Amino acid sequence: MSFELFSNLVGAFFTLCIFSFLYKDNPFYQAAEQMLVGISLGYGLVYTYNRVFVPYVWQTIVIKHQFVLIIPAIMGILYLFRFSRKLGWLSRYPIAFSMMGVGMGVPMGIHAAILVQMRQAMVPLESVNLMLILIGTIAVLLYFFFSKAHSGIYGKFVNVGKWYMMIGFGASFGLTVMARISLLIGRIQFLVNDVLGILK
Amino acid sequence: MNIFERMQKLDRRWIYIVVALAIIIPLTIPYDSDNVTTPPTENLYQMIDSFAGREDRAILMSFYHDAATMPELFPMEVAILRHCFERNVKVFTLTWFPAGAPIIDYAINSVKEEFPDIQSGVDYCNFGYKPQAFAMVLGMGDNIANTMNTDAEGRKLENLPIMKGINNYSEMNLAIEFSGSSAGGMWITYARPKYGLNVAVGVTAVMAADMYPYLQSGQLIGMLSGLKGAAEYEKLVDIFAAYRDPVIDYSVEYDEDGNRILPGRPFGREILEDDASKKLSLITTQTRAVFTPNEFAAFSAKYPENLAMLSSMGKKEDDKVVIDITEITPEMRTQMGERMYREIDRLTRNTLYKFKVARIGMNAQSVAHIMIIVFIVLGNIGYFIQKARAAKD
Amino acid sequence: MKKTIPLLIVILGGLIWVAWAFSPHYVLQEVFYNQFYLPWAYASSSFAMLLGVLSLTMMHSAKIKRRAPKWQYSYFFFASFIITCLAGFIGGIQKGSLFMWMFENVQMPMSATMFSLLAFYMATAAYKAFRARSPEATVLLLAAIVVMLAQVPLGVQISKHLPTISQWILDVPNLASKRGIMLGVGLGSVATSLKILLGIERSYLGGGD
Repeated sequence: MSFELFSNLVGAFFTLCIFSFLYKDNPFYQAAEQMLVGISLGYGLVYTYNRVFVPYVWQTIVIKHQFVLIIPAIMGILYLFRFSRKLGWLSRYPIAFSMMGVGMGVPMGIHAAILVQMRQAMVPLESVNLMLILIGTIAVLLYFFFSKAHSGIYGKFVNVGKWYMMIGFGASFGLTVMARISLLIGRIQFLVNDVLGILK
Repeated sequence: MNIFERMQKLDRRWIYIVVALAIIIPLTIPYDSDNVTTPPTENLYQMIDSFAGREDRAILMSFYHDAATMPELFPMEVAILRHCFERNVKVFTLTWFPAGAPIIDYAINSVKEEFPDIQSGVDYCNFGYKPQAFAMVLGMGDNIANTMNTDAEGRKLENLPIMKGINNYSEMNLAIEFSGSSAGGMWITYARPKYGLNVAVGVTAVMAADMYPYLQSGQLIGMLSGLKGAAEYEKLVDIFAAYRDPVIDYSVEYDEDGNRILPGRPFGREILEDDASKKLSLITTQTRAVFTPNEFAAFSAKYPENLAMLSSMGKKEDDKVVIDITEITPEMRTQMGERMYREIDRLTRNTLYKFKVARIGMNAQSVAHIMIIVFIVLGNIGYFIQKARAAKD
Repeated sequence: MKKTIPLLIVILGGLIWVAWAFSPHYVLQEVFYNQFYLPWAYASSSFAMLLGVLSLTMMHSAKIKRRAPKWQYSYFFFASFIITCLAGFIGGIQKGSLFMWMFENVQMPMSATMFSLLAFYMATAAYKAFRARSPEATVLLLAAIVVMLAQVPLGVQISKHLPTISQWILDVPNLASKRGIMLGVGLGSVATSLKILLGIERSYLGGGD
């Protein structure tokens, strides 16, 4: 048995452990689930140590002698005080440092999510499709504006937004079905082709 | 209990068995089918193809996902890498998930096997896992070598041949992000307004519908949505980038007019819509290389030392000359040389399994979708009949 | 005091960031960003991982101590975590090491399989829950069926107009509704970011004194 086949069999074993949950909850599934969490956590820890801590903290402080970086290193350790009831307030400092970036998110977010989208909705109405898009965008926006009652002609117009959203969610649903099934197809391709070697 | 009540109360494990069979059976019996390409995929293909052979252009592939969404995103990544390696487009790969690093290695190694001339640091460069996405995105707009410093193997970027001609986003002009959620957000919000970077995404189908506003506004130049997007891209690569004309000699770099000879051919709508191109992207195994008499003569002229062998191998069928690759024995293969054998293999238009995974998956998808629609219809029929009966009572 | 200083850091730092977005001045782009923020962000971010480790360790040890239901499986968590860490720190993380082998052949298949279970649940939901109870639900199901059929190669065999109709559904009504929703979400997130920037929203600081 080649090493590759053995590795694939190990993968297939754990795949079937998780699939066994479909029949009913069982010890194999429970054990596999906990192992998944354990290995993911261990992987994250080791990778963070090797690719983030060593090059950006250890080497910069100890080898390149940039001692000012001891301050953010200590600030990072303050994260752990989250679990302490008495000293929990210390963990606010590193959180505040990372929340600073929200200041840049405001102008960039306004540009990308709002202004550009608005500009594209305000193009010359050269075709029926563009007119439909404009009507739909405005109707959907107004549908969520609850300060004015949805009654009368205004209510009827806003109702159009509801139909647009139904079609939009229907399209999302159709694509979601495809996505979920694709994930299953991937697993079964692994079992059928890589393990059993039916199609290569 | 009548049949409709029993239908409504069906144990879900029977449904699971039907689902499993509906997917296993089509996967074990490959058949040819056609995936119609859509504009978002074609636009992305054309943009990457426009960088073909250029030293001052490159693409960046950001693998922002983990193993859970690999079935949809991995075939896309392999198809784009194959396109780039076929058409000599410089590729950079990067991930901000620790779990994404082995996926990049899988993708590159899997495609590299078929391209022995492709070298790390020359044709592609893997940055590997880099933390702090936000800082990288902005830093690369000024200078890529300074921001990234080293690649995944620890080599300094400024010493690598691939960086010749590539400084920042003006040259590495397209970033494609593969993600199961929030794809492209960082690039569209930060890199595009500031540096004018072109952004495209490869998303799981769940997110595809949400990306259409960005497509229409031009913030995304293209999109691959789920397994279908991957299948469409594989088809385009088979028809255009992986295409080899039997007449052209691809081993020389320039033809007599001084034009650069690049493998494959550029995108052309007439070629795509022509029925003959369907034969270029078949899923079933192909073993026959079909030539017109003129093509066969030109092909033979490229290998004058093997003229006799070629004449004996080529069989006349109707008005075409056919070489069946299964009839080439190992001795014949050694005699003709690896280069000629590979070229005949190319001309059979056979696609390796790893480059048609998405298309095979789409066959299973067809059956599965019909199954889901049947479930929905049956469930609704049963429900409405129950409701009518309850109303009557 | 314990909340004021972090709040001031966010407000002042956030305002400098706003200035960074608009100004190409050397002090902001080079000194603030490249020499201060980037190295500090890298140095402090690596410790956030320890939070996750500590949290899960505490949870599972409490489970074992209290003998909560299924407490025995917590040993699997500890065993796999410790073995992975030892393999990674001692054996290294290069390709071919035990660490990467465990990740590629145990974690990756399991993680992919967890997601693939959703396909089964979707099929059950399609059979038991997706009912066309109202005209809106019927329109939703019809749009879904058209898009589902058009995505697969079979769709073009059923009708050659199906891909065009599905693309129209995605390009026009779907786009309009997603754009409307995106504008709403964008406005909401910008409002929240502004509130954080101005110190009005303080929930990220947590409760307590």
